[in-house]
Amino acid sequence: MIDTAIPIAIGRVVATELKPATPHQFHFWTPTDTTIGIGAIVKVGAGSQEPGDGRVVYGVVTEGFAYSDLATPLHDVVGAEGDPARADEAPTARQQIRYWTAAVLRQTPEEPLQPVPLGQVYVADDADVAQALRMDAFLYSATPTAIPVGLYTSAGRDAPVYLDADFLLGPEAAHLNISGVSGLATKTSAVEFLLASIFAHFPAHKGRVAALCFNVKGPDLCFLDQPGDLSEEDRHRYDRLGVPSTPFQRVRLYAPLKADGVNLNTLRTHPELVGDVEPLTWGLQEVVDYAEVLLNRDDIDAKADAFIDFLRDRVLGRSFDDGFGTTHRVQTFADLDRLFRSIFDGLEIQSGGRSGSDTWRTHHIATIRKVRNRLLNISTRCKGLVTDDGPSSDLPWNGFEDRTVYVIDIANVDPLGQDLVFARVVSRLREQLERRELGVDAVVVFVDELNKYAPGDGPETYVKKMLLDISERGRYLGLVLFGAEQFRSQVHRRVVGNAGTQLFGRMDMDELATPGYQVLTPATKSKLATLPIGELMVRHPHFTQPIFVRFPKPPVLRGRDGVERFPPAADVPFEDAVVRHLVRLDRRVRPNQVKDLIADREPDDVRRALAAARRTRPDDVFAYFRKVLGARVSADADIPAEHHTVPPLNPISDEPY
Amino acid sequence: MTWWRALIDGGAVPASYVPPPSAGASPRDAADRLAAADVVEDAELEAHAVPDRRPASIPPAVSFLNGMERWSVVAYDGVAQIVNAYVAAAVCRRDARGVLRATLERSRAFAIAPMDRVSPALRPLLEQAAPDIEPVDGELVGQPARYLEQVESTVRRARSHLERELAEACIDTLGADEWLVLDGLLSRSPAVARHPRALGVIKSHGAQFLEGRGLERALTLPAGYRTSVFAVRGGHTRTEVYSWYLRLWPWEGNDLLYGLLRVEARADRETVTRASALSGWLWAERAPLATPATRWDRLLYPLHHVEEYLKARAPRSPAGRSRLPVA
Repeated sequence: MIDTAIPIAIGRVVATELKPATPHQFHFWTPTDTTIGIGAIVKVGAGSQEPGDGRVVYGVVTEGFAYSDLATPLHDVVGAEGDPARADEAPTARQQIRYWTAAVLRQTPEEPLQPVPLGQVYVADDADVAQALRMDAFLYSATPTAIPVGLYTSAGRDAPVYLDADFLLGPEAAHLNISGVSGLATKTSAVEFLLASIFAHFPAHKGRVAALCFNVKGPDLCFLDQPGDLSEEDRHRYDRLGVPSTPFQRVRLYAPLKADGVNLNTLRTHPELVGDVEPLTWGLQEVVDYAEVLLNRDDIDAKADAFIDFLRDRVLGRSFDDGFGTTHRVQTFADLDRLFRSIFDGLEIQSGGRSGSDTWRTHHIATIRKVRNRLLNISTRCKGLVTDDGPSSDLPWNGFEDRTVYVIDIANVDPLGQDLVFARVVSRLREQLERRELGVDAVVVFVDELNKYAPGDGPETYVKKMLLDISERGRYLGLVLFGAEQFRSQVHRRVVGNAGTQLFGRMDMDELATPGYQVLTPATKSKLATLPIGELMVRHPHFTQPIFVRFPKPPVLRGRDGVERFPPAADVPFEDAVVRHLVRLDRRVRPNQVKDLIADREPDDVRRALAAARRTRPDDVFAYFRKVLGARVSADADIPAEHHTVPPLNPISDEPY
Repeated sequence: MTWWRALIDGGAVPASYVPPPSAGASPRDAADRLAAADVVEDAELEAHAVPDRRPASIPPAVSFLNGMERWSVVAYDGVAQIVNAYVAAAVCRRDARGVLRATLERSRAFAIAPMDRVSPALRPLLEQAAPDIEPVDGELVGQPARYLEQVESTVRRARSHLERELAEACIDTLGADEWLVLDGLLSRSPAVARHPRALGVIKSHGAQFLEGRGLERALTLPAGYRTSVFAVRGGHTRTEVYSWYLRLWPWEGNDLLYGLLRVEARADRETVTRASALSGWLWAERAPLATPATRWDRLLYPLHHVEEYLKARAPRSPAGRSRLPVA
């Protein structure tokens, strides 16, 4: 804690005609062995012990200079006789100065706004930091909205720094963007800590809050419910910030299945933990609703759009006559493929092998082929996420719980599937929040690698449009975007520009040379380029200048440590995986019974029955599973084999149809 | 309000004359123009190479003493010039890290006026407003240039007095291995002149101690050489001291006095014995250069530092303003 005893001046404001003090900037000198540095918060004015304090100015150090009375470097060369080694032999040290530039954070009184007085400079204490950063308004109000973001540290002292929840999670402003080079455990760690801080300090009068995180690389977010190793220093920081140093109490982890339809496509497959992972699988209806995600901009022409609308409105889930004598009820990709083949066959027969009959229900056969190719392509590329069996497992769209983290692990999913997951989940969140039916009042959506999903250049994808929509309108709904990326300059300007709070970890010098960082001084840039792990630069609407804070290591198991402590298990055989799923639904299920039941059965039938059991969650899971699976059918019965997969016509071709 | 403002309010004419800075030879040494010297080290004056500068030859603790003076004419009473003067001296001690810190400091701000020529109306005002007045003879009031020489001499005397007082105070507090190096003559104070660890460093050579071949050897000393030690008597020196010349920088290409110091030390055989070691030490003090001082070739940086320290602490010169005509 910062000592609030008698303040000791650590410097003095000086002003010359060339470098005057202004209302927004001042200069001061300190002894050469001073403890302050770039980012330090200082106070100018009479010491707090003195009665009748006048104007008090708070500032943050943005630049530092050191120089001696050496008139020209040549004189040092002459003095050392050209030998650098002899320069150290000079018996007297030259007179030196430590000269600092500080940007004004706040003046009291605020009016009239005047140049900074030429007074003594003091290190800021806790109360000064609160004043300087204008945190007093939301920290000491009747309904405080302060969310700790870290500790401002200077000279071995620290003071908590808070964000205003109204400006972090809406409605005044919202969203957070964090930039930093990869591999320094800053971006993900900072978000994990901040989520813990939000859960601990989100004000009761603002309602309920949850977080939804997309795990897009490795095991980053797979162990948020497991405790990590914290040092005593970190625990002290948690105490200072009033945030419990425990892992998240409520974590719901979702992952798609692998292509086998039964093993989970995640790194959290250790036997002790895999039981907590919910499968995430979607069917045809969910895919068609977000068909735009699957089609790139060139694909979406009016014709394709019209045909997709036709399928959505007239075909899916209904009894439909294809016009060639067959009635279809399309509920799965297999059903859809049958419809397409029926159409193609019908047109072929109709034309009698001659060219000319190339439209069906006003839709050209080329358009039909293109849409078919794109839709069925997803069932191949994202097998495991997209199933043939309808929605078997989804997020609880009507029952999000307070202070709960929902993690969707799509790290190993095809990029197309990642886009689909992202688009559908965010759309559903928005819809549910609009209807006030989500179960919480605010949701933080954490998206890493934002430069991939909302790049500054490149095509206008559905996902990018969706991120822009959240950035610009989400705060009214309580839909808050926490985005992270390595290079902020490569993210769409409107996405980062709408982030009310911005965090910066260690930055690449090339990135710092881009126009977005022109407002920073060279010293601040230099500090950013060398920031240690656990330190951030914060910009927040209440802070008139960037502030450096230190945050504790997250209280959860880091991804890399998680896979070491809980190594992922190898995929289990089909039968064992089915047993595991059923046992997870009902602990009374006996494995041998299940294995006997599914022996010699078609895997797709088993998957379909399993999906139905997951979807229905009956009281007696095994009985229901057996009923859905149906009676055993003789292997040599004259029944056509079930369609196993639905290959696209030409999945890897560049041919547009 | 300053004392001269009261005087001006009382009817004196405001003035702002500042004497031009000294161009070289210090007036302090003007009285030393003729001085006798006996070589005490060799049969005749020789040049001795000083040992290469080595950190080991530098005493661990050294105090440096220097002074400053500043004066300006601030008012006229008729043609009588009323002067505001300020003199100061300080001792800075060099610590183990080579950092200089002030340990002793004295200053005096005073008025100089020909009291017998000040008008009856202004005299009580002056006596009341100025807390410290140094009266000067009014005979030269009618000869302004000579009057100002008298003023300069008065200021110089006040400065010398202050420096002497401070030097004597300093040697009383010197540590066992601590040295005192002062700017100027060591022999002004007998106590200081007899101290075993006090050195005077003279960079103005108004006084001439040598002649003939000895003088030629002294003035053409190569860099890194010293002369034989000689005893200095006469002039205004009240106490005999030993002295020698030391060349810090090559004079070729400049002038004969470039980089030439005269060192004064206690008149003792030990001084002769230690002359080379002491010269090696002072030679090491060439760095850092005392730039931007114009006489950096002879000014040791620590003495320059003390002077800058005093200047920084001196009150702002009242005549520092523009000399445009007063409306």
